[in-house]
Amino acid sequence: MIGKLIRTDFMKIRRKGIWFLTVLGPFGVVALQMVNYGLRKDWFIQQDIYSWFYYIRNVIAFTPFALILGIVILTSFMASIENETNAWKQVIALPVTKWGVYLSKYTTLAILLVVSTCLLTLFSLGFGMFLGLDGGIPYLDLIKYCFYTFFASLPVLGLQLWVALVSKNQGIPITLGIFGVILSYMAYFLPDWLIWKWPSLDNQWDEPIINVCLGLAVGLAIYLVGMIDFMRRDVK
Amino acid sequence: MISLLQSEWYKVRKSNIIYILFAAPLVGLLIGIVGGSSVFPVEVNQWAGALLMMNLTYALLFLPLVTGVLAATVCRYEHQAGGWKQLLALPVTRGKVFMSKYLLLIMLVLVVQVLYLGSIFVVGIVHGFTDSFPMEIVWKSILGGWVATFPLVALQLWMSILFKSFAASFSVNVIFTLPTILAINSEKFGPYYPWAQPVFMMNVGGDTSEFFFIPWEQLITVVGGSFLLFFIGGFLYFQRKSV
Amino acid sequence: MEYIVETNKLTKRFGKEYAVEAVDLRIPKGEIYGFLGPNGAGKTTTIRMLLGLMEPTLGNIKVFGKDLKRERIGILKKVGSLVENPSYYPHLTAYENLETIRKIYGVPKKRIADVLEIVRLSEVTNKKVKGFSLGMKQRLGIASSLLNKPELLILDEPTNGLDPSGIIEIRNLIKRLSKEEGMTILISSHLLSEIDQIADHVGVISKGKMIFQDTIDVMRRQSQKKISLKVNDYERANRILISNGMKADFSIDSITLPEHHDEDIANIVRVLVENNISVYRIEEEKRSLESTFLQMTAEERGL
Repeated sequence: MIGKLIRTDFMKIRRKGIWFLTVLGPFGVVALQMVNYGLRKDWFIQQDIYSWFYYIRNVIAFTPFALILGIVILTSFMASIENETNAWKQVIALPVTKWGVYLSKYTTLAILLVVSTCLLTLFSLGFGMFLGLDGGIPYLDLIKYCFYTFFASLPVLGLQLWVALVSKNQGIPITLGIFGVILSYMAYFLPDWLIWKWPSLDNQWDEPIINVCLGLAVGLAIYLVGMIDFMRRDVK
Repeated sequence: MISLLQSEWYKVRKSNIIYILFAAPLVGLLIGIVGGSSVFPVEVNQWAGALLMMNLTYALLFLPLVTGVLAATVCRYEHQAGGWKQLLALPVTRGKVFMSKYLLLIMLVLVVQVLYLGSIFVVGIVHGFTDSFPMEIVWKSILGGWVATFPLVALQLWMSILFKSFAASFSVNVIFTLPTILAINSEKFGPYYPWAQPVFMMNVGGDTSEFFFIPWEQLITVVGGSFLLFFIGGFLYFQRKSV
Repeated sequence: MEYIVETNKLTKRFGKEYAVEAVDLRIPKGEIYGFLGPNGAGKTTTIRMLLGLMEPTLGNIKVFGKDLKRERIGILKKVGSLVENPSYYPHLTAYENLETIRKIYGVPKKRIADVLEIVRLSEVTNKKVKGFSLGMKQRLGIASSLLNKPELLILDEPTNGLDPSGIIEIRNLIKRLSKEEGMTILISSHLLSEIDQIADHVGVISKGKMIFQDTIDVMRRQSQKKISLKVNDYERANRILISNGMKADFSIDSITLPEHHDEDIANIVRVLVENNISVYRIEEEKRSLESTFLQMTAEERGL
């Protein structure tokens, strides 16, 4: 049943520009580096940081905002598909479970974000190779950091999806999303327990894997809370 | 026109706009308190030091993004079940409808700015600032930030009339706002980028000899020019929009 | 009788308000059931509960003899529905809209063309629903409710937004589905005239309570002409008529006679007069089905 639901969800996001944004997001992140390296290449060389190591750091410095904004936009789009014409009553009156509907929305979004993350890895690799950075290409590190950021942001995905699906006025999840972006922008100042800090992969122990584990565990918990709340709500 | 403006205000008053407006001081408090204040040497006025930090995040991300949410909110009723039809079937011109929505929006942004000013005071109290409050600089940046959003509001109003869903107009907003992070670091490009103007116009460390921290030429050409472009674009689009 | 839908003391409360209160709905198999009531009487809330969109505050629902709460999915596989204004995805075409639902049911793709044919939307199969008129959207909604060849079809105000010829078309379609496919159909409306020509059974709901539920014939009979008598002493007249084995309805200030065979009326009057009852007036009351319905709902409203 979940398979069928996901297929219908992918059908419903046609012509909404969602795929375009999925590609634009990672492209935008790398484009910012194009500008960055285009303008300051000499400075990087001068400072002796014209290497893959610093390049990857630069890329993943911007990824958290882009990812969180992407999550805000995609979840709101996903909710608007049913909210706009109040199609929930049609979907839930089909022989499907409510948790199935919720899981399908979540999975569809997760798939889109994984596609984005893969593209981010590819685009970063491509531009890095074009730059001819110093040192060997650290394929594993590149993949690792791109996907770490994704896993660490799963709690934000769970929260935004929950709020977007239950809000009639999409201004609410989007305002919450703006808060999230600002928090992730200030990640350096935030305490380690705030979910918006996690995508920065920064913590007091300097172990990014902790953020990944927290992301997965808390992400699952928030997902479950959101799903249970969605299930007990009446469909108007 | 006044009555139209009143009816616009009446419509949004009942929505959740109040929460969106109060997001501004919340963000102010958040970045002011969490962000710390003791990063500057003692000679710098404590308020000015804190403001330099707070205004950057606020003007870089919050202000441009929230204008989009406000714009989408003032068009929300019209996008529901034939609202545009109902509104435009009243004895009003489309031009006046567009103008009144625009005026309402910039007034809302002014409220956002004033609420943010309030949060600056609170931050100062929390940190126990003893220096004198640099009233002139603060007002300059509050009003300057407000003026800098005029073109952004015009574009977002256009996008909010064009798109039914919040997410769509918000995407446009994000696409233009994110590059600001880089633009402000570029001396060549930054001054010409409309979305970077709130940062410059709220930058209390900017050129204090200027009325608004930025040269008049930049204000008129970049802010004024992009305002005209987006306002006229949105205005013409709305004239032709079939409802 | 076999009931396809059977509710027991079905109740839904929103805050302090009872939207639906202790409703015992009985929909017999293979019949067209007209669910009547003024706007806001609780029809849509009842229907939402029948589809599992809302949890009842109290009471239970059986569909096809199975408990809805426990076997919702199995039940919904055999149910088609259209609740209130139609739901649709404006950015998708008519075909794609139906395809999103077809995938869930897993019925053959050909069924999409069939249902579009049934509601006469074949020509706009590949047009985006954004540009559809209200009537076309409504018909698309009906098409989607037929995709799975349901055994129970639930249509909430299906003629909303349709023009007169569209209304007749839908009415004929419903009759055909009932006769040819043997579907059980629940159709709700706030207008009696919309369903009195097609429904076999009627339920009337007002202020959340079911105030009438029987066949349309019984409702018709109640609406037929009645003779009412005004006399000087109702209590005595009452006793006299009972002791003479005569049929009549009594209240403190009237006697109504359901049968109006001229000879019967004459007999009753003669008996009363012979027993020294003064008969002041003999009146004929005419009521249409519509006014019976209006009166039923008005009494409940306390107007």
